Amino acid sequence: MSRIALLLLFRRTLLAIPILLCVSALVFVILRLLPADPVAMSLPPGASAADMEKLRQAFGLDRPLPVQYVIWLGKLATGDLGVSIYFRRSVAELIATALPATLELVAVGLALGVALGVAGGLAMFAWRGRAGEQALDLGAAGLMAIPEFLWAILLILLFGVAWPVMPFIGRLSPDIALPAPLTGFLLLDSLARLRLDVFASALAHLALPAVALAIGVAPLVMRVLRSSLLDVIQEDYVTQARLRGIPERTVVVRHALRNAALPTISLIGVQAGFMFGGTVLVEMIFAYPGLGNLMVDAVRNHDLPVIQAVGLVYCVLVLGINAAVDVLYLAVNPRLRTPA
Amino acid sequence: MRQGIDRRSLMKLGAGAGALAALGVSADALAQAAAKGQLTMAFPADVPTWDPNARSLAAVQSLYKMVFDQPITQNPDITPKPALATKWGYVDDKGLALGLDLRSDVTFHDGSKMTAEDFKYSFFDRPRLPTPEGGRKLDTAFIWRRVKDIEIVSPTRVVMHFSEPMPSAVAWLYFLTSYVVPKAYLEKVGVAEFEKKPIGSGPYKLVEYQQGARIVLEANDAYWGGKPAIPRVTVELVRDPTARTAAIESKRVDVSVDVPIREAARLATVPGLTSMIEPISDITLLQITKNGGFADERVRLAAHHAINKEALSKAFFNGAAKPISVPAAHNTPGYPEDYSFAFSEDKAMALLKEVGHGPQNPIAIKFSSPNGAFPGDFDVARAIVQMWKKVGIAAELETIELSTYQERLRANTLPEATLFSWGNAAGDPEMYGGYLLDPKSIFSAMKSDDLGQKFQPLLVETDEKKRLEGYRAAHRFAAEKGYTIPLYQTVKTVVSQANVAIVKYDNGLVLPQTFSFKA
Repeated sequence: MSRIALLLLFRRTLLAIPILLCVSALVFVILRLLPADPVAMSLPPGASAADMEKLRQAFGLDRPLPVQYVIWLGKLATGDLGVSIYFRRSVAELIATALPATLELVAVGLALGVALGVAGGLAMFAWRGRAGEQALDLGAAGLMAIPEFLWAILLILLFGVAWPVMPFIGRLSPDIALPAPLTGFLLLDSLARLRLDVFASALAHLALPAVALAIGVAPLVMRVLRSSLLDVIQEDYVTQARLRGIPERTVVVRHALRNAALPTISLIGVQAGFMFGGTVLVEMIFAYPGLGNLMVDAVRNHDLPVIQAVGLVYCVLVLGINAAVDVLYLAVNPRLRTPA
Repeated sequence: MRQGIDRRSLMKLGAGAGALAALGVSADALAQAAAKGQLTMAFPADVPTWDPNARSLAAVQSLYKMVFDQPITQNPDITPKPALATKWGYVDDKGLALGLDLRSDVTFHDGSKMTAEDFKYSFFDRPRLPTPEGGRKLDTAFIWRRVKDIEIVSPTRVVMHFSEPMPSAVAWLYFLTSYVVPKAYLEKVGVAEFEKKPIGSGPYKLVEYQQGARIVLEANDAYWGGKPAIPRVTVELVRDPTARTAAIESKRVDVSVDVPIREAARLATVPGLTSMIEPISDITLLQITKNGGFADERVRLAAHHAINKEALSKAFFNGAAKPISVPAAHNTPGYPEDYSFAFSEDKAMALLKEVGHGPQNPIAIKFSSPNGAFPGDFDVARAIVQMWKKVGIAAELETIELSTYQERLRANTLPEATLFSWGNAAGDPEMYGGYLLDPKSIFSAMKSDDLGQKFQPLLVETDEKKRLEGYRAAHRFAAEKGYTIPLYQTVKTVVSQANVAIVKYDNGLVLPQTFSFKA
């Protein structure tokens, strides 16, 4: 990695600290201002009002809000995300279990969305001015009009019920035992352990949720790439290349696409951030045990430590994606590698 | 550029689709699994922890009961029946000493024997263990707080000694959190390890657990009640009701629990599927306060008379939600079967007229309801608003989160009426009116001294006949004074493949240990 890229990453990391502090404070304050009591929700018959107060004290919920925040922040600095009120387990442990599943889902969903989007964008460009372009444009509009969770349900009804070829519950078939985790990424773990049955099953279980997420990304990528290509194709260097007798396909792929990719990369970065938001409902619908499902449980049970921590993890992931997009920008655009 | 799809491309596409389909699940996979004795069940909730003494959550008791045993259990009609305890009864005349004879042939999943030591540990020692900093007590610590000692008479005989009478103790022995855990194993490995590798004496052993995803269980060959008919059960944790419906319809699971009622009714007509849509011992009611427009008893009673519960049942629950007149389920000991609170718009209007209101001059109240927490909740609430409007009650309906409900309940700031569902798998009347209407209870919305006079003596009444009669009368009193507006028994749905024989429990428990595959 070049020195400029490292510098960029360093700057990004420094900038991330105040952002994370702001987000953590915001999440912390909003959660505590809600008229909801996690302690009252979880007390059994036989508990008295005094028991409720004791439990509130045990969770530190009786202290002033700034004190609670400072304590939480202090623990956070040491990697202690607290203990879940609902699950009675370390929040860090819960997140460590759920996060790989979500990252795997987003990675596959994003790869699929980008692949479809780029292919579609190139096709639209190739068929510009023809019926094919209009058909793809109309298709993209249709895909964008329906939110991810509805796609999730439609995909289940289509490929799970009407034409039952794809599984749609969990990460593995019921008859396959979960191998002992190495990284938590099931696709990687199964390959590492040479368990191709697990790999095939995990991939099949990823397919529909990943498609549901990809549908949110592909049409946008397709349209932006098409527009960028239309802009770039007018540039002098493209004309020069054509005049040199370079075949049209090579002109597009080698010369135009590289420059047209810059706005597309920005868009993919933004969409990847949104995709994490989309996983919340998609994971719930597909019974996929990731961060989104954990968040749903935490919100239902007003499990403050888990909501705070998962919120923060989402924030870190989005900041990480932004940093990755910056680095990718550097790799694709040589002009940015020259210090101003 | 050549466009269109040629034969070679089509074949490639076909091969790709075939490969994709091969990754999926074949349609007859379920039949193959059934032939091997495997059952897959889509279930809506996960356990918060595998420590069964920790949290009293009604929704996951079916899961705990697969791995752990209780001293007493219930028949399908929810009457108590022996489990780890073969006999039980008070051994004094003050209701302060409950003796239990325990089975001698029970082993935990690690092969160790269950004895009176384990019983004492589960119900006395463990609840009293110091709480780690920032942690919380086990729920058994609250529930069994009146146990002052458990005397071990022999390895198979214990006597529970209470500091004050606890007439519901027997019911609690088959209710939430009351599971016997292995003392030696827990002390050896600690709670954290126990939660990862739980060991009980129940009909199934836990062999795999993916939090929020699935639970895999294998039959306990040495189970004292006989090995379950189905050797292997996979519980797929599917929170989304649409996905649970799709799972059973596509034959990816054998049993699907809590399918939306309309879907369950539709699936009943699908060949190869069987739907169970039945009322259970949980109830849905309006939690009433004396706030605002409900300060006057006549307005509260008018609000109750104006609700057509049969119509609600037909409209939203396929007619399965059995209307109730008191806050208890039919056929449970606290329900006065000879009493009925009439639906009568005329009575409602007459009562409202007495306080100067009517359809032209409605009384304004606030009404809250969760949306999606209980079956049909907000739809039912909206229908009630229309029923009230007809007689002269203008209700302003707002959505309420369960956590907000609890906060307002604690602060006594709930509005006049709130739709709520109350679980009581045990069916004991103390767990109905005793908790819902005793003004000292943290679950009661109506705080009225006369209710306290009715219910509080019953909480320590040791004469069982008098206790049950007392609850029936107190429940009736509460309805007649407009202190509660009970609506109907909550409806449970279970959809299964036709080759699975299911035992229906009146408390809504779904227990694979009682299932079998039909020949």
